[in-house]
Amino acid sequence: MKPAANPQTGDTTKRNKRWVYLSLAPVIIVFLALSAFPVLNLLGLSLFKVTWQDGSAIYDFVGMENYKYLFNEEEIYWAGVRNTLIFAVSVVTVQMLLGFTMALAVMRAGSFGRPILTGIFLLPIVIPPIVIGTMWRLIMGREFGLINGLLSMAGLPTVDWLGNPDIALGSIMLVDIWHWTPFVFLLMLAGLESLDTEVLEAARLDVTSFWQEMRHIVVPMMLPTIVITVVFRIILSFKVFDEVYLLTSGGPGTSTEVVNFSIYRVFFSQDRVGDGSAMSVVTLFAVALMIIVANGLIQRRSGNKGGEE
Amino acid sequence: MSVRRLSAGRLFSNTLVWGYAFLILGPMVWVLSNAFKFQIDILTGKIFAPFTWRNFEQLLFSRQSNFLANLLNSAIVATASTLIVIVIATMAAFTLARLKMPDWIRWSVLGWALLFHMLPTLTFVGSWYQMFAAVGLHGTYFALIATHVVFNLPMALFLMMTFVTALPEDLIQAARMDGCSNGAMFWRIVMPLVRGGLIATSALMFIFSWSDFAIALTLSSTDTMTAPVAIATYAQEYEIRYGEMAAGAAMSMIPALTLILVGQSFVVRGLLAGAVK
Amino acid sequence: MFSEVKSKLPSIRQSVGGVALGAMIATGATMAMAQSQPTINIAINQSPWLNSFIAMVDKYEDETGNKIELDVTPFGGLLEKIRNSVRGSSGTFDIVNVNSLWLSELYSGGFLAPLGDLRDGYALQDGVLDYGSTVSWNADSGTFAADGTLMGVPLNGNVQVLYYNTDVYKKLGLSEPKTWDELMANAKAIKDSGDAYGFIPRAGRSSIVYNFTPYLFSHGGSFFDIQADGSLAVKINTAAGKAALETYLDLAQNAGPPSSGAVEQGELIQLISTGRGAQAIAVIGAWGGLENPEKSAVVGKINAALIPTGPNGGQATSAGHWVGGVPKNISAERQEAAMTFLDWFQSKEVQVAYVEAGGVPVRGDLGDSSLAGDDRYRFIDAYSANAANAVMGLPVAQAAEISDAVALNLNRAVIGELSVAEALNGAADGIETIMKREGYTVTRGPNL
Repeated sequence: MKPAANPQTGDTTKRNKRWVYLSLAPVIIVFLALSAFPVLNLLGLSLFKVTWQDGSAIYDFVGMENYKYLFNEEEIYWAGVRNTLIFAVSVVTVQMLLGFTMALAVMRAGSFGRPILTGIFLLPIVIPPIVIGTMWRLIMGREFGLINGLLSMAGLPTVDWLGNPDIALGSIMLVDIWHWTPFVFLLMLAGLESLDTEVLEAARLDVTSFWQEMRHIVVPMMLPTIVITVVFRIILSFKVFDEVYLLTSGGPGTSTEVVNFSIYRVFFSQDRVGDGSAMSVVTLFAVALMIIVANGLIQRRSGNKGGEE
Repeated sequence: MSVRRLSAGRLFSNTLVWGYAFLILGPMVWVLSNAFKFQIDILTGKIFAPFTWRNFEQLLFSRQSNFLANLLNSAIVATASTLIVIVIATMAAFTLARLKMPDWIRWSVLGWALLFHMLPTLTFVGSWYQMFAAVGLHGTYFALIATHVVFNLPMALFLMMTFVTALPEDLIQAARMDGCSNGAMFWRIVMPLVRGGLIATSALMFIFSWSDFAIALTLSSTDTMTAPVAIATYAQEYEIRYGEMAAGAAMSMIPALTLILVGQSFVVRGLLAGAVK
Repeated sequence: MFSEVKSKLPSIRQSVGGVALGAMIATGATMAMAQSQPTINIAINQSPWLNSFIAMVDKYEDETGNKIELDVTPFGGLLEKIRNSVRGSSGTFDIVNVNSLWLSELYSGGFLAPLGDLRDGYALQDGVLDYGSTVSWNADSGTFAADGTLMGVPLNGNVQVLYYNTDVYKKLGLSEPKTWDELMANAKAIKDSGDAYGFIPRAGRSSIVYNFTPYLFSHGGSFFDIQADGSLAVKINTAAGKAALETYLDLAQNAGPPSSGAVEQGELIQLISTGRGAQAIAVIGAWGGLENPEKSAVVGKINAALIPTGPNGGQATSAGHWVGGVPKNISAERQEAAMTFLDWFQSKEVQVAYVEAGGVPVRGDLGDSSLAGDDRYRFIDAYSANAANAVMGLPVAQAAEISDAVALNLNRAVIGELSVAEALNGAADGIETIMKREGYTVTRGPNL
């Protein structure tokens, strides 16, 4: 730190303290004003049964009753949990690999076409989600769909993408990968671009192959960005809704039921806000657990790597 | 060693990215081509079909549609909310990641942000409606912008923290040695150096705001209706009007992409101008 | 087939333009009448029939000088908007357009003003359909009831009818089926001919309960009955339910497209309008699209008929209409303005104009009107006949929850995951669990 002789120090320290509070104030105010009531309301509602009579709401405190019901009776929610876990693990893995590879390839492909490529890669997340769902339903249609049209033109057997319970979830994953890989791409590209080039150049002298460079230099340096991207992709894939709603509505059977769709039906269509809130809270724990596991896996893998060197 | 390896690598990379670009563009072109087709040709899955402007006419000139106004609303809401969220999130991210402060504040803010982000948005919309209706702000731009800010804030906060954390420590130390105050350090050093992350994050925030349906549906009025809500009106009870939806998608993607790209160069220039390096 | 459709397009588009121009001139020309009541704000969904409703709004404004504003919302968001408005202390909307699926929720929650409270002893005009008594509610038993309190006026009629492709019928020498067996025979003949699917069920999870209801009730069954003492008797797991589901599955699995368990309304209409499906039970609301050459390859080739009769002469269809209700949380003056419109809307003259503008009427007595004999309106007789048999399969406030539980079981039967007995027992379990939790005394017969 600076010696006390500096006449500005006292002033700067005060200003610095003020900065800490001023810079946090907007975020805290926004959170308090706009998220405190909705979140507490949601958590609280999970302990109530709400009914409407004569135009006004009646709140009956039921304690853990909604949670009990959820664990004992809502089989469809648990089918959704299973599907969502499969869905989240698969799509996040593929999206991370694909997004990272593409970001790397765009960096290495040279400046030629880079802005164009970035623009193209962003297209899927710029389309309104409702359009993604309806259009892929057309593309994957059994009878008149684009893919099946192309397959039969090529003399190949057609596939019942959305109607076959065994592959419907896979089809939704395909759409989700198409839709959300750009999210990963964008963040990976930003991460790669902001790597310290000097450190990178220096480290390059020690490695001989591309894979070594990836494993020992780039990935460890990118780790914070990778972790945060995985965390948000997990959260967003647990919240998957538009695609399922518009492509399959959870069917056939429960083959594509996902938790957010169950929550939507219970909380919104069926107007059981207590049960819907309980579902949201349980889901919250599931997501948190998954993030902790994923984070542990990523950290341990990279930790092992550090040990090898 | 490397000329041949480099060019082979470059060729491979180029094949990869353009192959992937094709996988994105294929369905995309087909989707957008539906904007120029009649419903029956879309339903029968024709790749080439008679051309029509009918869907755009419906969207732009029909009495039931006010699509240009919807686009303008989207642009206002998305631009304003992105600007606000990115500035307040980056400021807070710098403080949380780099400055001394009580730990309980740090963990409360971050913990709350994560908790809020993990709960499903659609369960909040009713509460927001009640809040804004109570103060007479329902259906205003303010309501939409404010909710989009809070909805995007957690992700913006965490992403910007990651990018700020990645800055080399010696740079910050050097600035501190020079007697740079926290505020000056933020505007002159941190902001210019994280511009890559800033651009990516603001692009994402803009996209999330631009494509939000659940919040805008409930909090907008006829005058402030945004493009995704307008497009959703074509997914109807007995029919999905694919042509109009595709036309709406095309018309909503173009301004979104333009704003993102223009916004980027604007951000870059602004930051470089402010930088003293 | 296709070139024929294409060549018709220019003339159709011209006539559409002509109509629009005519409408503009008409609205521009008559602005003389003064507004005597407050402007009515209606919450309504975007839909294929919205244009016909707007035509009636214009007509009302011209005739009375009063003003109407429409808040047009996506179908998927209307319920939320209505809830938000009617649950507040003072509502935005003067008339809410309520889908039949949401009626029980809004009636039982006490959000709508009984029409008899707004105008003493008010009753619907003679000839207006009540779609299985869904315009009135009995708060004591918590169900729709013909002698209950009148809660609203139907704004758009809609029930399921049997659609068939007349070209296919002519070619194969088939005739309109009167019973389920005849329908099945037709379906098999069509399927064997290889020209089209014999029958399209709407068996996706979001649709199947609605689609299955006519089968169930025409076989003499029901999902459950509310007894005189207020208890609830589960009836889905009975012989009638079994016969109905077997009929449904026979059609779906032996004459329908592969994977009919994924067919929702969109696919059904796609298959009929492209000519790939030759018969289906679907809402009359789809008629307009099937007759529009921009949307359909079967213009003029589709007809509507009465849904087949069950083994003991039972006839039924499920209601899918829209009802206009007046919220309690608006001023008396605004309620009176809303009532004036709702009363005006029911008259025979307005309803004929509504049909001519492309709407589905809410009266069952237009067969003798100026529409009779006009080929464009050939659906009217079949519609009226079906509408007289309309039922609400799940006439309680918990309809949405029960529907989801039953739908999953039925859908799993269609895709072969459950047997008929398993599906019906599972559905009965679902109904029992849900209604017991609501405090009902529930009785049910033994498992199948």
